[in-house]
Amino acid sequence: MASHNESILREPLITGNDITYAKITNDVLHPVENMPTKAWWIGFTIASLGACLWVFAVSWTFWYGIGSWGLNKTVGWAWDITGFVWWVGIGHAGTLISAILLLFRQNWRNSINRSAEAMTIFAVICAATYIVAHMGRPWMAVYSLPFPNQYGSLWVNFNSPLIWDVFAISTYFSVSLVFWYTGLLPDLATIRDRATGLRRRIYSVLSFGWTGSVKTWQRFETVSLILAGISTPLVLSVHTIVSMDFATSLEPGWHTTIFPPYFVAGAIFSGFAMVQTLLLITRKVLGLENYITMFHIESMNKIILLTGSIVGVAYMTEFFIAYYSGGEYEQYTFLNRFIGPYWWAGCMMYGCNVLMTQLMWFKKVRTNIPISWVLSIVVNIGMWFERFVIIVTSLHRDFIPSSWAMFYPTWVDMSVFIGSIGVFFTLFLLFIRVFPSIAMAEVKLLLKSSSEQAKKKLLADGHLDPSHAEFYKESLTKFDSVELSEYEKI
Amino acid sequence: MDSNKKYWKGLEELNSEPEFVEKNKHEFAEPIPIEEVLSGNGLMAKTPRRDFLKALGFGVGAVTLAACQKVPVHKSIPYLIKPEEVTPGVANYYVSTYEGHAVLVKTREGRPIKIEGNPDDLLSKGGLSGQAQASVLDLYDNNRLKNPAQNGSDSTWNEIDAFVKSELAAIKAGGKKIRIVSSTVHSPSTLAVIADFIGQYPTTKHINYDAVSYTGIIQANQNSFGKAVLPHYRFDKADIIVSFGADFLGTWISPVEFTSQYVGNRNNKSLQNKKMSRHIQFETGMSLTGTNADVRIPVKPSEEGVALVNLYNQISGTTLPGTRKLNNVTADKALTIVAKELQAAKGKALVVSGSNDVATQVLVNAINSLLGSYGSTIDLDNYSNQYAGNDHDFTELVSEMNRGEVDAVLFLNTNPAYEYHNSGAIKDALKKVRLKISFSERNDETASLCNVNAPNHYYLEAWGDDNAIEGYYTIVQPTINPVYNTRQAEESLLVWSDNAVKEYYTYVRNNWDKSLLAKGGLSGQKGWETLLQTGFVKAGDKPAGSYSFSRDLNGVAQNILNQSKQLAASGDGKVELQLYQTVAIRDGKRANNPWLQEMPDPVSKVTWDNFAAMSPTDLNKYGFVQGDIINIDVNGYAVALPILSQPGQAQGTISVAVGYGRTQAGPVGDGVGKNAFPFLTFRNGTFQTTAVAAFSKTGEYPIVLAQTQTHHSFEGRNVIRETTFNEYLKNPASNSGKSEEHKKYDLFWQDYGIDNPQKQPYNWVMAIDLNACTGCGACVVACSAENNIPVVGRDEVRRRREMHWIRIDRYYSFNDKGREVTEEQEISTLEDLDHVSVVHQPMLCQHCDHAPCETVCPVLATVHSSDGLNHMAYNRCIGTRYCANNCPFKVRRFNWFNYWNDSRFDNYLINEHTHLVLNPDVTTRFRGVMEKCSMCIQRIQAGKLKAKIEKRPLKDGEIKVACQQTCPANAIVFGNRNDPDSEVSKALKSERTYYVLEELGVQPGIGYQVKVRNTSELEA
Repeated sequence: MASHNESILREPLITGNDITYAKITNDVLHPVENMPTKAWWIGFTIASLGACLWVFAVSWTFWYGIGSWGLNKTVGWAWDITGFVWWVGIGHAGTLISAILLLFRQNWRNSINRSAEAMTIFAVICAATYIVAHMGRPWMAVYSLPFPNQYGSLWVNFNSPLIWDVFAISTYFSVSLVFWYTGLLPDLATIRDRATGLRRRIYSVLSFGWTGSVKTWQRFETVSLILAGISTPLVLSVHTIVSMDFATSLEPGWHTTIFPPYFVAGAIFSGFAMVQTLLLITRKVLGLENYITMFHIESMNKIILLTGSIVGVAYMTEFFIAYYSGGEYEQYTFLNRFIGPYWWAGCMMYGCNVLMTQLMWFKKVRTNIPISWVLSIVVNIGMWFERFVIIVTSLHRDFIPSSWAMFYPTWVDMSVFIGSIGVFFTLFLLFIRVFPSIAMAEVKLLLKSSSEQAKKKLLADGHLDPSHAEFYKESLTKFDSVELSEYEKI
Repeated sequence: MDSNKKYWKGLEELNSEPEFVEKNKHEFAEPIPIEEVLSGNGLMAKTPRRDFLKALGFGVGAVTLAACQKVPVHKSIPYLIKPEEVTPGVANYYVSTYEGHAVLVKTREGRPIKIEGNPDDLLSKGGLSGQAQASVLDLYDNNRLKNPAQNGSDSTWNEIDAFVKSELAAIKAGGKKIRIVSSTVHSPSTLAVIADFIGQYPTTKHINYDAVSYTGIIQANQNSFGKAVLPHYRFDKADIIVSFGADFLGTWISPVEFTSQYVGNRNNKSLQNKKMSRHIQFETGMSLTGTNADVRIPVKPSEEGVALVNLYNQISGTTLPGTRKLNNVTADKALTIVAKELQAAKGKALVVSGSNDVATQVLVNAINSLLGSYGSTIDLDNYSNQYAGNDHDFTELVSEMNRGEVDAVLFLNTNPAYEYHNSGAIKDALKKVRLKISFSERNDETASLCNVNAPNHYYLEAWGDDNAIEGYYTIVQPTINPVYNTRQAEESLLVWSDNAVKEYYTYVRNNWDKSLLAKGGLSGQKGWETLLQTGFVKAGDKPAGSYSFSRDLNGVAQNILNQSKQLAASGDGKVELQLYQTVAIRDGKRANNPWLQEMPDPVSKVTWDNFAAMSPTDLNKYGFVQGDIINIDVNGYAVALPILSQPGQAQGTISVAVGYGRTQAGPVGDGVGKNAFPFLTFRNGTFQTTAVAAFSKTGEYPIVLAQTQTHHSFEGRNVIRETTFNEYLKNPASNSGKSEEHKKYDLFWQDYGIDNPQKQPYNWVMAIDLNACTGCGACVVACSAENNIPVVGRDEVRRRREMHWIRIDRYYSFNDKGREVTEEQEISTLEDLDHVSVVHQPMLCQHCDHAPCETVCPVLATVHSSDGLNHMAYNRCIGTRYCANNCPFKVRRFNWFNYWNDSRFDNYLINEHTHLVLNPDVTTRFRGVMEKCSMCIQRIQAGKLKAKIEKRPLKDGEIKVACQQTCPANAIVFGNRNDPDSEVSKALKSERTYYVLEELGVQPGIGYQVKVRNTSELEA
């Protein structure tokens, strides 16, 4: 796309000098075509230890029963569904980036969509494992599918939001996977073309015989658009349905009509935070600063600020409605978030998600990499606590005071959660070893129009409105990876 | 047609080619390749692809078809000769007796699986205590003695008999004393056996020794009226009841009977007649009775006697010498009002005291005499035989043994090595006794000190009879062959005393033929058979005489006041200690019963432990928190117990339950709690339950008590609705929410016609009268027994995972200057925490017609039935727990573990032997599935089936659910709402009816009736 000249007013999406198509390929495929670095090995060791912990803790749960978790007669969901919603939420940034930003022609997505989509898939895998692991009888999980049967034709309960969940998550996973893989095809072909021996054979199978003909490219573009169209509603629907797990219940603190938009905003919020967490490290370690630039970082921070503020408004609305409804159970539940035994969880939720993200109003904060990284972690923590507060703090003190109880996690609860992070990172680290972590083909599209080089050329051509040129130069001062002195020469 | 047609198989035949003709000569035209096949070549030959596929197809098909037929392995053996009365799948009921109450024993395929009240029982009208419900489990306890034993090693009955008889003969010859020690025997036949034994061995004396003794009352009656009996109290005849520490609804004398009597004057029926009794309780620790009182005044043990003296003074208008004012302003004020009210209700008043002090009971007798209670609320003529223990006799026995005068002692259903306050003395004294025989069913603390163990039958294996109240005779009959090699204690006595009748059945039969049957107007074989069907005979009541008290009270008052002075704890680190029994464990005889250990205490909701109950004000004062371990020391005996913060506990006192700290009860009961029996003191000729104790905090790490409820206030929510009797009289719908505006929602299930009798004959619902429910918890145990509910143990209860399908919610509210305070935040600011009111609310699945659990289950494992029930399909459940989360009543229970084969849960379900108690009509649940109250669907189905077989409509009241059936207060009514004449329909039409959380629109199927408190004048 976009081979026309781009306005000088737009910030460049690829920085650095002497960027050529070949250099992009070399840069991006460096980790794929070489032996892993020490940093990768360290990360992979830790992550796979985490994954082993997950296998152990989940096996323990399957062997002994859900009783090995800290749940009780009052709190029937805690870390399990907290973890599930947290992971599903994290997945949402990938879909938003790949689908909605594609439809809106936000070209800056080209550098980050591959990793974000991979993250989506791995996060949904983690979420899906929670769905199965939290069941009392996971070996009967198949009952949740509407398969034809001989039990007098016994169907699933189409009224149950959990069934909607089954459909939502499975659809989400399959569409995301197809979208991601389709996007990978030209890049896989690139690897194939450069590889020899067994690798070549593997990648040639994986690349589905991509030829790179015009026809192929045209179809590729069409399929991408169609899939983007299919995925777009998913960005909104999946977390809407997840929120209905709560919203359609009776439980005070769950029974809220604001949940769908609030959850979707929260999902994108946490998803971008996770993308930020991953990419800030990836770009450094893999040396991809030219492709994931400060502009990308700042853009994502802006989205975090926006969605974080939406979430903040949702929080306030919830409180107002609790007060305004006059429902005593509802009122108590919301008061209980601050004055109850779990006040600290409430503080983590509101503090991390609302107060801390408001720092992003400052450009200095948005463009500071260490602070951005820390804040992205803070948001991840805050969003975990949001789900914990919604689930546990609502459940533990609901209608009948005699049943009020506390939830104390066991080592199994913690291990399953920490382990799921291990699984996620194991998959992610394997991903950056075998697949290009940046969509090379899509980035290459930008080289001629939106890169710093292209902009320089435009400047050099000198047909521009001088005020525009001035604006461009001025706005570049805030980028860390652009040396302004280069421009002085022009 | 021409039938000469020739058919030919081929041209070769038609043409009769020579080759064909040649071949046709052989049997087989073509050679059969037998040789070829057998020689090996054929077998080795390649199977053609088609054949292979055919064989494969057939094989797979055949195997699939064979596999379609499930062939489960049944390890059961059919009856070779079917017993006449046993039909597999159909329960048999036998009348029997449990502690004087006529009961029905439900047996299936020859094994007792449930004890149910006999609806005709005169004492409790079909109600039963939790202990009675749990007693069936003890039958299968494999920690019972399985054989007789001599000196600790298994023996045979012949050897035992030979040994005992020779010993007894030698002792008789030596003229040394023989003593039979038992807890009170109220079986006429047993008493006759003992009398016969004494006839044979004249040096024998029978001593009744009760762990929790009522000697004080018995001797007081001897002193006052010359009748050494325990009177039959009639709470049903009392308009006003004043109790000084008598827990008559929980543990005192005959609580099940008293509950039934008491509730009769307070339940819906009574209220509709505009009548409600008044009940004022003065007590130290919060007892079950105290929780039900209209007014409850905490008093220290040292104040109880003073209060009684003051009450006497006010009623009699005299002043006993030495009278002093109470230091307790509230109690003082209350006494003045109580005295007036008692006088106003003369002849319909009753004052009871839980004290075992003779002087105190004499004073109570005097008060009751002034109030004209004798002949109305107290019956001394149709007296109770339930307790006849004589404390003095037993202490005397200990010294006799110590002096070496006793050569033989026989222990029957008593365990003094555990229950006696000075168990060391017993152990020492027993060393000097030559022959020690225990009839105990288990090798308990006393049995292990004996040289002969002659294990008795369990009551479900035995013949016998009982006579709890004079004139009321009940029968005990075996319902199963003896499980172990045991022998009835009476039979042992008969054998050892060379009685002419050696078989106890014959003995009982003779005994009844002789005199007892006639009392009920029965006789002969027919009379006996009638008895075995009805379970009891009742002789006509003697007229209850009115006795008047005429003794001088000066000395009595002096005695009481002196004791009070001694009891008044003074100084730092001293408190007044009160001992009590919990409703579940009582005196600890059934400590090895997991159902009872896991039954939440009705007041504290603690399971699997005893504790030191202290007032929250005291906790603040000393800087303690619940769970801290304190050391309690009385005269050198000390135990370390966790503290329980008990609202309503009198300040400056500690209450500790006896019955815990068993060391040889069995694996379940051993080491649960600490033994508090040694805190009993022998004072003025009786065992007394009060003492001065020193206490101090230990360095031990605080523990978490296994409570099933940890939040104790109802937060002002209209989950609980209560009103006062005065308000009720003005408006029967007072505070039932009837006046509040309701929006009528369309019922989700209306299309299915649940409410429409034309479409659906049944709509099963329940009505629970909060004013009748005393919170005793019998329903919890009955439900466990009926529905095979697993016991999860102390740790799991701590994790809040008990499995009970029905629970009793108990809420405290506080009275702050006439205002009811129910919210946690506000309670924490109150200074005066003494004025507590308590409400009990049975909570179980509400079978909502618009059930929130049903809509959220992804797999339709919980669905609504056409007759208004919420079903659970365990086999469909995948265990997402969403239903439990969405249940506003939090009544759903999840199987966190595989309770029936996980070795970490050493409960009754693990043991193959105790499996036998399981109700075969109710499936046991695997781990990972949800369960909850089914409204005893198995009973509903059985009832409907029975009616169908008999081709008649189901009668109201024919089906009783387990909780309803056992409820001594009759607080639970179950039935069909679509029958307008059913009891439940009528109950639900009561103006007091409200539905918990009805504003949620879930349409609960259980209506509660507003709690009414008769607190008219006395707002203390």
